[in-house]
Amino acid sequence: MSRGALYYVMLPLVAAACLFQATAAGRIKIYNVQPDLVLLLVVVGALIYGSRPALLWAFVGGLGLDVFSGGPMGSSSLALMAAALVAGLGHRTFSRFNLLVPLAAMALGTVVYAGAYLGILAVLQYLQVAAHRVPLQLTLQNVVLPATVYNVTLMVLLIPFLNRIPERQDL
Amino acid sequence: MRDLERRPWSFGDIGIRLVILALAAVVLMALQATGRLEPVQSAITQLTSPAQVGATGATSSVADLVDFVVELRNLRQRNAELEQVTSNLLVENFELREVQRENEVMRQMLRFAQTRPGLDLRGAQIVARVIGQESNNFLEYLMLDLGAGHGVAVGYPVVTDQGLVGRISEVTETTSKVLLITDASSAVNAILQSSRLNGVVRGSPGGDLLMDYIPQGEVFSIGEVVLTSGLGGRFPRGVPLGQVIEIRQRDIDVFQQAVVRPTVNFSRLELVMVVTNFDPLEDVPELLVPEAQPGAGEVNPLDAEGPLPGEVAPQGGTDGQEAGP
Repeated sequence: MSRGALYYVMLPLVAAACLFQATAAGRIKIYNVQPDLVLLLVVVGALIYGSRPALLWAFVGGLGLDVFSGGPMGSSSLALMAAALVAGLGHRTFSRFNLLVPLAAMALGTVVYAGAYLGILAVLQYLQVAAHRVPLQLTLQNVVLPATVYNVTLMVLLIPFLNRIPERQDL
Repeated sequence: MRDLERRPWSFGDIGIRLVILALAAVVLMALQATGRLEPVQSAITQLTSPAQVGATGATSSVADLVDFVVELRNLRQRNAELEQVTSNLLVENFELREVQRENEVMRQMLRFAQTRPGLDLRGAQIVARVIGQESNNFLEYLMLDLGAGHGVAVGYPVVTDQGLVGRISEVTETTSKVLLITDASSAVNAILQSSRLNGVVRGSPGGDLLMDYIPQGEVFSIGEVVLTSGLGGRFPRGVPLGQVIEIRQRDIDVFQQAVVRPTVNFSRLELVMVVTNFDPLEDVPELLVPEAQPGAGEVNPLDAEGPLPGEVAPQGGTDGQEAGP
């Protein structure tokens, strides 16, 4: 697929990923952790096209996730946008063809996404807007760490596909 | 010469885009917190639920196919075993025919009762399909294909034949969300079946349940079955929750803890039952306190079955929460 074509199918892909995440991702849980497919798409998008379009995909993807989830509306959007900003650093600063760049972007993206999401839940609980209780240490140990490994593993599988897309070919 | 003319701001600028989208997300959060987003959310869920139903069905078919391929190797051996089982089943079949006759009689009785609304119907349970699972790793929810239009209301317990699943936390006209007992925000008053010790079962990140507030010095064993105790009035009594797989006892702690493996396989849920003839004692007229106040890590076991996430808190303390029955 060419770089330009992928740009235009990113939004439908993100929407499909939201649906898949809400219906089927639970079936591919490993150690009780499911992959963050929307996050994966946003990070891939940020690596190829930069943070600017990735912010929009993150916003839309986050809304999709929040519609299906029991969490506060808009929280996933904010968390994904933070991840898109971080992953976008790998767009121009480093060569995407360096193996470490997509892996580091995915790992960092997952940690930032989780941190931002948990932070938003904590703020909402502090403001007494919602009472989603998420124990921090256990969550980091049992959820964030395995999820990071899972997401990075999926990114490894995507690298051959990523490498076929030309770098720095602005639309 | 430097061009000092500034470019007008546009949505294309990353900073502007970031601010606009972040503000939009915060506004959505605020609208949801004040309840003004409910009609929109309801409309969106109504639009998306058919897609969810379709995707869930397709996923189930694919998963069944994968399971079949994985199990193909064992089929020959199982075939021989099954032939033996068949002969046993023939005997059982006779018994089941008897049960079937009884069932028909009971159905007739149910029809009789339905035509007489004055009668108090017991066992009125709604079977719902699970059409969606939690879309992130931090919260544990399910989405069902039944909503307020089918008689489902917030607070109703959700069960399967294996045990307690959770309770309804959000309802639209056609769908509802279930807060699972494995969510960290969930708390269920429980009792150990053999030793009759009371405690509170909480969800924990990682999928296991944690039974807390078991007094020090009391003896119980691994393998004990954990049931709902009915205290607090939010869940019916005697519904299985799980089995103790680990005991955590430290002399410095006030209470013992037990790690409980849920009887329900939450990753394979397809059908659940919403118990509609159980009135949860929801003492939540307007405002509620979030479950874990800052600095209030310990909860009174009798007050443990706290408000549902998303419910808002009063400024004046925990008086609005219900205690034991």
